[in-house]
Amino acid sequence: MSAVHGSAAAGAPDQSAPDQGDPADAVLRALADPHRRQILRLVRGGELAAGEIASHFDATQQAVSHHLQVLARAGLLSERRDGVRRLYALDPLALDPVREMLTELWPSALERLKYVVEQDQKNKKKTVEPTKAGRRP
Amino acid sequence: MTVPGVLTVTVRIGAAPADVFPYFVNPALMIRWIGEWADLHPEPGGRFALDFSKTPVRGEYVEVEPPRRVVFTWGVAGHDSLPPGSTTVEVVLTADGSDTVVELFHHDLPVGERDRHLEGWTTMLGRLVPLLRFAGPESTAAS
Repeated sequence: MSAVHGSAAAGAPDQSAPDQGDPADAVLRALADPHRRQILRLVRGGELAAGEIASHFDATQQAVSHHLQVLARAGLLSERRDGVRRLYALDPLALDPVREMLTELWPSALERLKYVVEQDQKNKKKTVEPTKAGRRP
Repeated sequence: MTVPGVLTVTVRIGAAPADVFPYFVNPALMIRWIGEWADLHPEPGGRFALDFSKTPVRGEYVEVEPPRRVVFTWGVAGHDSLPPGSTTVEVVLTADGSDTVVELFHHDLPVGERDRHLEGWTTMLGRLVPLLRFAGPESTAAS
């Protein structure tokens, strides 16, 4: 990896990331709907059957079922069958992309901080020294 | 030691803590290393707002003790799994010779069932180590 050249250059590797498909995108899209966020709140405490989840909504069972599928595809919910019942639970691993966003963020940000501060220190010395040397009237 | 839900990152900077501290409280200095816009009110309860890569990070300062410690909350506006105020970032600056060792702890990250995923965290922190070229002993211990 090349050296960090300030914020513009340092941002470049991040911008190439969407080409590989950002795993956080599916999660964020799934979370964009208030019904789906409500479903996640419902299952936060533990596994629930599709029917129990649907009973919290005015929407049709089909609409709720659609939301459950979107959440499951994004990996936010895990799904299992128990006889005729479909049970849904929060999948804690789905938060990985969000966590990863942060685990990548801080090391690269702090490397930039180091670069910026050390550059500023060098520049400060450069400007301070000539003043000391003989700018006095 | 690896603590579930806490991300620790360490970096050594060739400057005194008093020279590093402003980069966590002054918006013009902050956006030179993180984000593209910032609105910072560095006092307990003061606003901490930072946009980076179109992500609106919102929180507030909890502790501001120049030049060695600053704590602020951190969340994403409109983001249900990481709402504003849900996580806390603690930054500790320690002088070491003419350098500053910056330790950043990101607390209360959403780890779901924490104990079950301790393993996942260890793996992730292990992956971070190669990135921490100037890391102190803390981060080496994470591997």
